[in-house]
Amino acid sequence: MNLLPVTVALAGLLALWELAIALFRVPGFVLPRPLDIATAVMENPGLYASGMLLTALEAIGGFAAGAALGFGLAVLMVLFRPLERALVPIAIAISSVPSIAFIPLALVWFGLGPVSKVAMAALAVVFVVLLNTLNGLKRPDREAINLLRSFGAGRLGILWRLQLPAAMPAVVTGLRVGLARSTIAVIVAEMLGAYAGIGQIIYQATVQVDALHVWAGVAVATAGSLLLNAVLVAVDRRLVWWS
Amino acid sequence: MPAEGLLALRNVWKRFHSGGTETVALHDVDFVIEPGQFVTLIGPSGCGKSTLFNIIAGLEEPDGDGSVLFQGQPQRHRDLLGKVSFMPQKDLLFPWRTVLDNAALALEIEGMPRKAARQKAAALFPEFGLQGFEKHYPRQLSGGMRQRVALMRTFLFERELLLLDEPFGALDALTRSMMQRWLLEIWARHRRTVLFITHDIDEAIFLGDRVIVMSARPGTVRCDERVDLPRPRSGEVMLTPQFLDVKRRLLAIVEEESRKTFSASA
Repeated sequence: MNLLPVTVALAGLLALWELAIALFRVPGFVLPRPLDIATAVMENPGLYASGMLLTALEAIGGFAAGAALGFGLAVLMVLFRPLERALVPIAIAISSVPSIAFIPLALVWFGLGPVSKVAMAALAVVFVVLLNTLNGLKRPDREAINLLRSFGAGRLGILWRLQLPAAMPAVVTGLRVGLARSTIAVIVAEMLGAYAGIGQIIYQATVQVDALHVWAGVAVATAGSLLLNAVLVAVDRRLVWWS
Repeated sequence: MPAEGLLALRNVWKRFHSGGTETVALHDVDFVIEPGQFVTLIGPSGCGKSTLFNIIAGLEEPDGDGSVLFQGQPQRHRDLLGKVSFMPQKDLLFPWRTVLDNAALALEIEGMPRKAARQKAAALFPEFGLQGFEKHYPRQLSGGMRQRVALMRTFLFERELLLLDEPFGALDALTRSMMQRWLLEIWARHRRTVLFITHDIDEAIFLGDRVIVMSARPGTVRCDERVDLPRPRSGEVMLTPQFLDVKRRLLAIVEEESRKTFSASA
């Protein structure tokens, strides 16, 4: 992958940032300078690292659980069509509410610790993976299925040799959207109630009207999300190895 | 061999019902295919060819008034699934499988271990002109090559009857005539029974021992013509008076049936 264009763009953005502060005399509590933000992070590396680690673990744990559940349910629904007709309308109804809206409930049910964050991450990913996988599994047309039937393949053989591989590009789309949603859900949940985590760090800095450390938290969260996304891209390449 | 040939269709009907109206796709289809024969089937579009093929492949059930006999045995309820090598119109190669694994697909479904299936498939690659392409993916192949892979997949599913549904329909004329000659060579070596659907009269006569012409919908056998051209056949055969004679007769019938379809839909 060629990193040059994105590096140039990023450098340009930072230069513009500095320029805007110098030109319009923006006070530091409105918009701190990039270098100051970096310094703020480096002055207290342990705090940000442990906060981001917790947030990442919560997001990954919930993402994995939710993705597995969504994928598994989709496979079951394809094998037992009545299940699909019964559950898909409910899934669509729940998923049309922004999952963030469930955070207060999650905090009441699962407490302020990591469990509520994992639950929120799982909720944020489960339906998008479920619906995408379901769509993908139904993608093969009648003719391809008939070909396998003519070779004597049964229901499971068709699932394994045709529907699952055919669904992988759609599954990958679901995973990408789901990971972003999981990370957002965890950070917002941490802001609304938590003992630790990057969201909580941002929240506390906000309460103290400390813009510099809000920005520091946001910067660390952004870097963490980018890293998670890079890992997922590598996983995706293995799931859709042929394109 | 049983008196009924390899495959016998007796008074086969297929009616489709939707919203109170009945459409007759096939009406009293009746023919016998002898083992080792190369039979081609032509007919105007929408004459029920594909329905007929699906019935012979075991994918669809004929109506109760007729019967399908395979090796003398009446076939019911998907009995034919897994008994006939079926090649649909589209190549239907799986993009996530290499060419080799696409070719070995039917063997794997039959339960052969993957390694043995690959070995068996690999042995056919030179004959199908695909040597060196084993590890390629289908999107890297030309249309003619993809069709050969699909044909190899069908061949490796070793059944007495091969059912080919317009396998060369999507190819350009030059590739198509190369593929026809090549198919005859393969057939001469392996001697399986072939039922080959096409809408190209030249192709039907050039390939077949027999040409069955279907009528316009509702489809039935309109004529069943023996082709006694000597084998092996080269492209030259298409210029012989004998070939042109058969072609003239069949063309008249096919045109008449096509006109019926045309005026019915107009």
